[in-house]
Amino acid sequence: MKPLLEIKNLKMYYDTQAGQVKATDDISFTLNEGESMGLVGESGCGKTSVSMSIMKLLPENARILSGHIYFDGTDLVPFSEEQMNRIRWAGISMIFQAAMNSLNPVYRVGDQIIEAIVTHEPNVTFEEARERVGSLYKLVGLDPERMDNYPHEYSGGMKQRAIIAMSLACNPKLIIADEPTTALDVIVQDTILRELEKIQKKLNMSMIYISHDIAVIAEVASKIAIMYAGKIVEMADSVTIFKRPAHPYTVGLMSSFPSIRGEKKDLVTIPGEPPNLLNAPDHCRFAPRCPFVTDECWKQVPPYAEVETAHLVACFHPQNLRKQVSVNASK
Amino acid sequence: MPVNDRETVIKVENLDKFFPMKKSVFSVSKHFLHAVDKVNFDIKRGQVLSLVGESGCGKTTTGKTLLKLYEPTNGSITFLNRDVTHLNSAEDRKWFHSRTQMIFQDPFESLNPRKTIFDIVSEPMNIQNFGSLRKREVMVMDILKRVGISPPDAFLWRYPHELSGGQRQRVAIARSLVMKPEFVVADEPTSMLDVSIRTQVMKLMMDLIKEMNMSFLYITHDLAVARYMADEISVMYLGKIVEHAGSEELIKNPLHPYTKALISAVPVPDPEFRRTSVNIKGGIGKPIDPLPRCRFYERCPFAMEICTQKDPELIDVGNDHQVACFLYEKR
Repeated sequence: MKPLLEIKNLKMYYDTQAGQVKATDDISFTLNEGESMGLVGESGCGKTSVSMSIMKLLPENARILSGHIYFDGTDLVPFSEEQMNRIRWAGISMIFQAAMNSLNPVYRVGDQIIEAIVTHEPNVTFEEARERVGSLYKLVGLDPERMDNYPHEYSGGMKQRAIIAMSLACNPKLIIADEPTTALDVIVQDTILRELEKIQKKLNMSMIYISHDIAVIAEVASKIAIMYAGKIVEMADSVTIFKRPAHPYTVGLMSSFPSIRGEKKDLVTIPGEPPNLLNAPDHCRFAPRCPFVTDECWKQVPPYAEVETAHLVACFHPQNLRKQVSVNASK
Repeated sequence: MPVNDRETVIKVENLDKFFPMKKSVFSVSKHFLHAVDKVNFDIKRGQVLSLVGESGCGKTTTGKTLLKLYEPTNGSITFLNRDVTHLNSAEDRKWFHSRTQMIFQDPFESLNPRKTIFDIVSEPMNIQNFGSLRKREVMVMDILKRVGISPPDAFLWRYPHELSGGQRQRVAIARSLVMKPEFVVADEPTSMLDVSIRTQVMKLMMDLIKEMNMSFLYITHDLAVARYMADEISVMYLGKIVEHAGSEELIKNPLHPYTKALISAVPVPDPEFRRTSVNIKGGIGKPIDPLPRCRFYERCPFAMEICTQKDPELIDVGNDHQVACFLYEKR
């Protein structure tokens, strides 16, 4: 498989009056063609900042300090706004958080998608674009006749489908879906996730799913990166992450989710709260909440270590932990 | 003591809440939205009932009507063996409202930003003219300590914006419980919180319910959360309760096609688990002047002729399990 997106040691900080906010701190990962990856973390952990850095849709006070974002072999970091405009939509497109509200209420939904196509591909005629929207509608499970309706005539799930159609409009190689189903009801969420998965496989696209909900990610992503306080703390294929989590935060996150399957288990709580990323400390950021903390953790940031093939963990005590988990499980 | 022998705290019989649809300034509305339609349940002392459903199904309206924030259209509410359907005298209102409370969903909006934590938590006591200032202070400190705001005196004079989301929800819970209510309606109290914080707050509420022997109506869209919090679950669809059972019974042995769909739509945090896909179509509608027929008819994969002819009643199928569906009616 060919790598499509390679992020290397990306550091993106926000300058604020109170100091530097280290929103993404030394992030690296590779996404292959046709692969789907999940970025999991709680609010404020920097997962949206990663996606905004890839798209370079950053506010004025944000700075990419160092690192590279290779998309299809070229580094996007030095790209100008004009160059980025050619990449956006056509190369990488994005489904934003609460995207249903991002449709303009006074334009017909179909026309908004046509506009996106015509802007990015000037030699496409209006009729051709309209035809393409029709086939996109079929692809995402919408009736093409609804193209001429306004957003308020759509239900929440239909709007989300239209947004997915729009993100596919210019045949991008990569789609970043930032909390694509968070505002939807479970049944609608289920159908949308199925649809996204089907389209991704059919078109052999790469996807990055961003969510706080580890269960949603488990369903759609083949590879998972867990983020905590601006850093990726653990990364592996999804089965490994779920079967053999090694970072204490990942373990805590998994056992703190109430489950509907199997026997009712006691929920495990992670004490404390996520840290403020303002002037983040130079030690393990999970240390204050970690049950396995030692002196070492307070002295330096744990480096990434491969605990097994393609399973990266930034923790000084992943091995100890795994024993601990198996002890708990056997009780 | 077995739940069935305990005293009934609140009993709801045939509760209706209809909202008139606005037509124009001059005409009287002839159309009504049946937000809550013939709802029956009772909650015993120390018991938690969870009302589960998608957005727009009337679960919040039910909660608010129960606390008399809305005037019920028909039906009766009995609280501690007193009819509280219409609270006509100030004395009755005081009696009722000093014994009941509500916890809201959004801790960012439910706390007045211009009041200190002490003012917020002591407000119920001010309204009820309860105790001396000294006594109020003691009670506020007590409850703050109890909900995990420590040390409480460090927080008394702070403002909501200085607190994190989890701390705010703890303060909101403290405000609701400071008067030691006998019945509390909690409307999605954890849905705005982050995963690791959510479990903390859920555990805190469970401890407090046990400790204070309160009766709870826990409103949520998340069946997994309901399973952990509640003794019994009622599933609501377009203003009607379609299924009711003990929480484990309902999760393990769902009968109504809607409940089955809801359960199978919940994502499973296990990448190797393949769910059977949900087989119901479309989204939730609006119950405006509903016809006397099953409201789930359009989306139901098992729809029969009888479903269009009359409204299914809740029938007991044994094991304290009730369902409103013709599939289970003996003919």
